[in-house]
Amino acid sequence: MDKMIYTAMTGANAAQYRQQVLANNLANVSTPGFRAELDAFRSVPVRGDGASTRVFALEATSGHSDLPGSVSQTGRLLDVAARGNAYFAVQGLDGTEAYTRAGALEVDPNGTLVNPAGLPMLGDGGPIVVPEGAQVNIATDGTVSARVGQQPPQTVGRLKMVTPDQDNPLRRSEDGLFRGPQGDALPASDVARLESGSLEGSNVNPMEAMIGMIAVGRQFEVQMRMLQNCETNDKTASQLLSMNG
Amino acid sequence: MINSLMISKTGMQAQQMKLDVISNNLANVATTGFKRANAVFEDLMYQNLRQVGANTAEQATLPTGLQVGLGVRTVATARNFTQGTVQQSDNTLDVAINGNGFFQVEMPDGTTAYSRDGSFKADAQGRIVTNSGFPLTAGITIPAGAQGITISADGVVTAKMPGTTTPQPIGNIELASFINPAGLEPLGQNLFAESVASGAPINGAPNSVGMGSLMQGYTEGSNVNVVQELVEMIGTQRAYEMNSKAIQTSDQMLQRLSQL
Repeated sequence: MDKMIYTAMTGANAAQYRQQVLANNLANVSTPGFRAELDAFRSVPVRGDGASTRVFALEATSGHSDLPGSVSQTGRLLDVAARGNAYFAVQGLDGTEAYTRAGALEVDPNGTLVNPAGLPMLGDGGPIVVPEGAQVNIATDGTVSARVGQQPPQTVGRLKMVTPDQDNPLRRSEDGLFRGPQGDALPASDVARLESGSLEGSNVNPMEAMIGMIAVGRQFEVQMRMLQNCETNDKTASQLLSMNG
Repeated sequence: MINSLMISKTGMQAQQMKLDVISNNLANVATTGFKRANAVFEDLMYQNLRQVGANTAEQATLPTGLQVGLGVRTVATARNFTQGTVQQSDNTLDVAINGNGFFQVEMPDGTTAYSRDGSFKADAQGRIVTNSGFPLTAGITIPAGAQGITISADGVVTAKMPGTTTPQPIGNIELASFINPAGLEPLGQNLFAESVASGAPINGAPNSVGMGSLMQGYTEGSNVNVVQELVEMIGTQRAYEMNSKAIQTSDQMLQRLSQL
């Protein structure tokens, strides 16, 4: 039997994975701060005895898109949107420092600033705690000030923000948060800025994802056609053999 | 393949939930003291199907991995406690809170509920009650025949009795505030209940530290912004459509596969 059937199968398999990645991007088209997953097909030559003629296809996710998502005004003082390429630091469930672009903050019953999932937002020296009954304001550089009643506002901490670059890239972990390349913490950035009263949406480009989906559907069909061709070839070959026999 | 069907399903479900929340906001656009909610989404876990940086040979590592997310879920319906529009009503017992805080209402089972709806009435015994008939915990009773009831900005209720010239104080309205009002549990009937997430209530007189002041003769409307809700509704519908398209594509791929 021709090995072509396996080669075509890897193509169909890769298309199927791509459909999953695109479906996940589309499912998160309105998730605050979501970063679209990038996908790429990779060719893997099969080496072995004889001529290396076959190349398998593999689907790979090459990282996430760093394009900014659309920012909408909410007017809520605890909604913050990171500008540029900045990320907010939160404490993940495993205790390590993780990063996110989602900035819909809340104050938990203990006064700690948390994200909607209940993870504490990290400041320069650990989680930020605000006093009871305070009105919280967040400045563009991340400084959190709390104002109780008619007293003058007091600074209670500064949100830690990081700006990943080529030396310090961020990678998505399995919990959907971003972490440093080795899971290590990035240094706090002094130039990172945020916008308070706004929320960043998802950076998924729905048009691109839809078109990608159409393309992947057709590509899958082509692979199926290849498999069918393969079957026809096989049938014809065996007919030839049966005539001889 | 089944995976992408399920992923798109979570997307459709999330958008449906968002539309439910938007519909409820719009339905309560004229409800006194209503606070708008919005659905907050979070991406689900990621499946690491091929670890980036894993060794393919002794000296070679994978330059790219394969990570597939499993969709989206609604993590919360966050309530937005910004001030609603304050409207003049000229009713003596209409009180709006300008700023932080909630009225404390005594429920029939003895617990305390919290409300921003200050369109109070007097019941047959003269008690100040909400529109559902629940009295304020302060237990203020208006004496029969009282005239000229005034509620001051700091919550002092006074009434003038017939035949007297000076108004007599008949009680104080106290407010309660929460460290995390977004964590309050909505009970319906414009009422909220304390929860673990909201923290314990902090009582105080209106106009004191951390509390808003009272405005007699005014009611606080809902803080729903109709334009914003409609725009969000359009966005939700489109996102729903796109996710249904993703299901369609996955289905077509499955169909092709089964035709082999």
